[in-house]
Amino acid sequence: MFVLPPPPRYPAVGYPGAPGGGQLIETNNTLTHPTGPEHQLVVGEGTYVLRDNLHLATPPPHPSEAPVHNPNPLATTVSPPTAGTKLSIVVVAPRQQSHSRLFRLDTANSARSQVPPSIQESPNESNSQASDAGSQSVNGNGVTAAPREGLHAPAFGSGNSALAVLNGKDSKDPLKRRKPKSNIVKSNSSFVSRVIPHEALTKRLQEHNPIGLYAFANVNRALQWLDLTSSTKEEHLTKILFTKAHALCHDVNQSTKGPGHVDIILGFSTGDIIWYEPMSQKYTRINKNGAINNTAVSDVRWLPNSENLFLAAHMDGSLVVYDKEKEDAPFAAEDQEQVQSETEKKARLVVKKSVNSKNQKFNPVSYWKTSNSKINAFAFSPDCRHVAVVSEDGSFRIIDFLKEQLLHQYMSYYGGMICVCWSPDGRYVVTGGQDDLVSIWSLEDSMLVARCQGHNSWVTAVQFDPWRCDERNYRIGSVGEDCRLLLWDFSVGMLHRPRAASVRQRSSVTSATLKMQRTRTDGSNTRLRSNSNLTSGSTLDEEEVVHEVEPRARTAMLPPVMAKKVDEHPLCWLGFEEDCIMTSCSNGHIRTYDRPKEGAGSDEVSTTASASNA
Amino acid sequence: MTSFFGRLKSGTGPASPASSTPPAKKDPNAPQLTPLEKLLQDAGPIRADGSDKFFGFENFGSTCYCNSIVQCLYYSVPFREQVINFPAKSPPEALQRPATGPLPRLNTNLLADANAQSSTLSPKGRNSFSTANSASPRKPVGTPAGAISPGQPQKPEDNKDSPEYKKKQALAAGPVLSMDYENSKAYGMSESLFSALKDIFEAVIAHTSHIGVVSPHKFLEILRRENEMFRTPMHQDAHEFLNLLLNEVVENVEHFSKTRVLEIEDKETNATIPQSNAVVNGTTPSSVGWVHELFEGILTSETRCLTCENTSQRDEAFLDLSVDLEQHSSVTSCLRKFSEEEMLCERNKFHCDKCGGLQEAEKRMKIKRLPRILALHLKRFKYTEDLQRLQKLFHRVVYPYYLRLFNTTDDAEDPDRLYELYAVVVHIGGGPYHGHYVSIIKTQDRGWLLFDDEMVEPVDKAYVRRFFGGEDQLACAYVLFYQETTEEAMLKEQEEESLAAAKQAAEVNTEPVSVATPKANGHGLTNGHDHILPVTPTVEKDDQFASLDHAVTAPPFHTSNHNNTMDHVTTSIPMLGKRQSNVASKKEKAERVKEEKERKVMEKELEKQAKAKRKELETQRRDLFRKQEDDLRVALAASRESATEESKKRGGAEPPATEKDKSANGLGSISKGSGLSRFRHSSMSLRHKPKFWSAGKDDKKDEPEVPSTPVTAEAEPSAQGTPGEKEKKNRFSLGRKKSTFHL
Repeated sequence: MFVLPPPPRYPAVGYPGAPGGGQLIETNNTLTHPTGPEHQLVVGEGTYVLRDNLHLATPPPHPSEAPVHNPNPLATTVSPPTAGTKLSIVVVAPRQQSHSRLFRLDTANSARSQVPPSIQESPNESNSQASDAGSQSVNGNGVTAAPREGLHAPAFGSGNSALAVLNGKDSKDPLKRRKPKSNIVKSNSSFVSRVIPHEALTKRLQEHNPIGLYAFANVNRALQWLDLTSSTKEEHLTKILFTKAHALCHDVNQSTKGPGHVDIILGFSTGDIIWYEPMSQKYTRINKNGAINNTAVSDVRWLPNSENLFLAAHMDGSLVVYDKEKEDAPFAAEDQEQVQSETEKKARLVVKKSVNSKNQKFNPVSYWKTSNSKINAFAFSPDCRHVAVVSEDGSFRIIDFLKEQLLHQYMSYYGGMICVCWSPDGRYVVTGGQDDLVSIWSLEDSMLVARCQGHNSWVTAVQFDPWRCDERNYRIGSVGEDCRLLLWDFSVGMLHRPRAASVRQRSSVTSATLKMQRTRTDGSNTRLRSNSNLTSGSTLDEEEVVHEVEPRARTAMLPPVMAKKVDEHPLCWLGFEEDCIMTSCSNGHIRTYDRPKEGAGSDEVSTTASASNA
Repeated sequence: MTSFFGRLKSGTGPASPASSTPPAKKDPNAPQLTPLEKLLQDAGPIRADGSDKFFGFENFGSTCYCNSIVQCLYYSVPFREQVINFPAKSPPEALQRPATGPLPRLNTNLLADANAQSSTLSPKGRNSFSTANSASPRKPVGTPAGAISPGQPQKPEDNKDSPEYKKKQALAAGPVLSMDYENSKAYGMSESLFSALKDIFEAVIAHTSHIGVVSPHKFLEILRRENEMFRTPMHQDAHEFLNLLLNEVVENVEHFSKTRVLEIEDKETNATIPQSNAVVNGTTPSSVGWVHELFEGILTSETRCLTCENTSQRDEAFLDLSVDLEQHSSVTSCLRKFSEEEMLCERNKFHCDKCGGLQEAEKRMKIKRLPRILALHLKRFKYTEDLQRLQKLFHRVVYPYYLRLFNTTDDAEDPDRLYELYAVVVHIGGGPYHGHYVSIIKTQDRGWLLFDDEMVEPVDKAYVRRFFGGEDQLACAYVLFYQETTEEAMLKEQEEESLAAAKQAAEVNTEPVSVATPKANGHGLTNGHDHILPVTPTVEKDDQFASLDHAVTAPPFHTSNHNNTMDHVTTSIPMLGKRQSNVASKKEKAERVKEEKERKVMEKELEKQAKAKRKELETQRRDLFRKQEDDLRVALAASRESATEESKKRGGAEPPATEKDKSANGLGSISKGSGLSRFRHSSMSLRHKPKFWSAGKDDKKDEPEVPSTPVTAEAEPSAQGTPGEKEKKNRFSLGRKKSTFHL
């Protein structure tokens, strides 16, 4: 018989993306309280101390789905997309007063909307101020009162009578929220495997402090509802196990939440979307079996100030607005002629179904296509007009979703972009990606402001810390695949000068740098002018929409003010709360760091800190 | 004839023994094709540049290090071009070719037999295919599989999804190019690794089949004759081999041109070498350094003496970069770490010319000139003191598809140069002394392919990302090849990719088994995953559409569409562009434009059809889902009852197939001690050949054993290497010495 070459046999290591341990019995969450200097974050304003480390139990695979154990590490079988643990945090009590108190920029409202003090220093600024004058109506207003301004922005689809009817009906009875149809506990759907409510659920709900945090966290095929202010927070309120679909993303509707009602939307690896109301244990399944779009949902968010509408990013590059109340209908692009011509112009947002379509009986409400590459994340601007979308092809788009129009398209330095976030005042957008950089983009100047270098691997989540942002200085946090949490203090006046001019100099260069950059931008092209279009909404030229990659020599580099390894596993989510910073990792660890006791809300500390760091 | 065999093959599953004829043209109706064959169904006539050839390489027992690297080099387009065109493009008739035709193995066997007898150095592995086959015809390879009915429990090599089976099939299907001859005379060169490599490339390009297997007998023979360290049938380091091969090629090329120059000066007639005249004309001095032009970059090391504050700079060339790894890092970060400042102190003090004497100093290395092809060696094999041997690091190191370098000097030219990942050499195994190498390569217009010895298989683009490493990942990227590209090319490619993805998505909707889905051997989807199939395209080039077109409406001329992707390659590599224009005539280009237009029209039409189809498919799909759901519900009902019991059972049943198999992998039988001694041995043996292995190389060899003081490797040359001394060294050793840097 014939002898074979050395048979490459390999130990069974689990399929790629499989949960690490792969234990096969249902286990409980564990809560630990590690202490010591390695669990503290030392920043200028004080020391953040690890409060606790909550480890969510990874559920075993569903019995019907035999675990795919391919002993061959080269196997070409495709495993479904998975995502690490992410959290949706909700405080059921109305939060208005805390907003006005904590978003400190509100205090500087009047001065700010006219002339932002930090930029005012530059005489050249008058130039862009003039051109900004128009955009102030959008951005400026967004700046002044982010949370409330949304109410003044027209609601999505308000111009469409087909939609308005339904909206009107809903808003009739604001106190009695509509619940989803099916009971998830009694459901016999094959999509949901098991629902495990806490034995004393009602008691715990009653005991819940209304200003305390509820969290929804996905881990593998499970979704857990946690009460983070409870003394037994490791015990979930409800745990839902899905059969094989993994929830990749979720979002809580901030405008419908209340003590007895929370609308949460879940996007799955199978493309399905579930609208779930945890208090009544009801749910509705949307895009069932991918009827409208059969690719996984990578990010999902409620439209700002909308009770019913939410936006889902599918992995084929589609952005779809669904209505939680509507049934699915098979989707075909409505305006074929347009689609064909638009494909040629890649710089456009292809509107496959407009919100203004009269056919609004079924989902989707509207359907846009950015490109065909996977959308990794998106974020709505505080002024409720724009959405920032980042994709695997390295593009970063700003879309006016009310007008269904692409305003800007930027590229990462290289590699895909993974996460995106708006500053609380809507002036800046930060992105993180596979170039290991956190990039700060200015909307007003439609340019890259700075690149933040400090991560040792891909950046998976960025967030502004609204409690530490003021008109001069923005606090940004980021986490990455390097298991580290980095904090950045970004102040426009304190940017480091790129090394282009001379040898690396550590001294902080103030507005002169920025001025130089601006004039250069001004001279080289007319990009700056494009922000007047931002408001006018007139048709845009492609050159104005698509922005080229900035060379390294021309962009400022920002160093972090704090960098700390906080986990053993790649991190995937970051959240700032009034009293803490939270991170979560791919393996289900949720860490909470208490803010420094005395430092919170003190202006002096933060400014001196940023000054000394700069 | 061929279609007959295609059908025969599809009927019986595996190829019958007789079907060793080149399956150049596939019968489109044959349903049971390998994924690669499916991919190539629309392949047009053979191209002159070899970009449409997908040959596996036979493994002679642990020669996968060689196979994976040679494959990467073959698909480094400018490198392939240069190999073919140096010293001059040989007229096809002047070269001996591997036997082809209906009885390829007969010929081969004779030759291989003779070869095996004539040379004791001919490649022989413990499990060598070649030795076994050279004595007996290859025919038995195909037969056993034919008798096996699918679905039965089988030996690993009989499982149709196993790589063993596929490799066997690839060998059986052929054609097998037995590279046991050499054409060095025809090239006007002496026999060398370069001439053998050129032989392989020439043979592959000239062959009439798109697929097949290369048996690199001669290449390995020369390699082993010249380099003692590769003589053993043991597992070798692929990066070391890459380094050796590149340097060897540099040396061969320069040696050749030197002798050529001498010959011209002597005005001696070289009647013995018929090609010589053409050769001389074709060889300009500038073209000699083409390996340098492609792979070489320049590092500047700045050393600042802490005593006299004097900064000295020194430039050093490199052919690849070796970077240290950290757990949970990225290639970007590894490169940045590479250029971080380090202190030269204590044992590694710096010899300052100004103050005279060993002083403490600060040193940092930055890239002054970026190479066109950046070969990144991830140092996964690290010496551990307490174990007294090399260990494999399983660190998770992520690598992006596109890359720019942060660690350039201020005066570097084009510091924002964009690189794209095009080849990954993957090491599979638990340690440095055994295991397996495969390469995953982005081909010009066929997307990413997995090259695992004899087997070649199309893979998803996302597949490339499975080899980041990590605790439970045996297979990790070991060498990454990045090539320079432009943003335009990147955007264009991304667009094509997404087009392909869109098409594929549509395809997934219409057919349960898509052509491009990397499922093994047409074994259908075994699960309900079809609605979560990859969004990332398997095949990113638009000729994938051409193939779809082809199936529906397209006339045959469609098939040569893949040419148009060549354009973007040429834009990205200007030097290559000129060369390619020689290959592709203007007429062809005009045709291409025409075809492009026609294709667009076709696509539009197709899209309309697809839309019309969609509605009726929708109903079909719903039925399907309903059925799936029912099935699932049944399964659920059954499972719910016994959920906990089953999981318990499984808990007991799961673990067995674990670590113990590691050693079975390749050379498990080799003791760890001998493995270590091999490394020492090799470095010793290298010292026997001072001409080839300069001090720098020795440093490199020693380095893994003293990683605690990594500076030594750098400090040494900087201490001894005064500029004058450096100039004196001949260029070969210079190139070699500078080829690797360890920090």
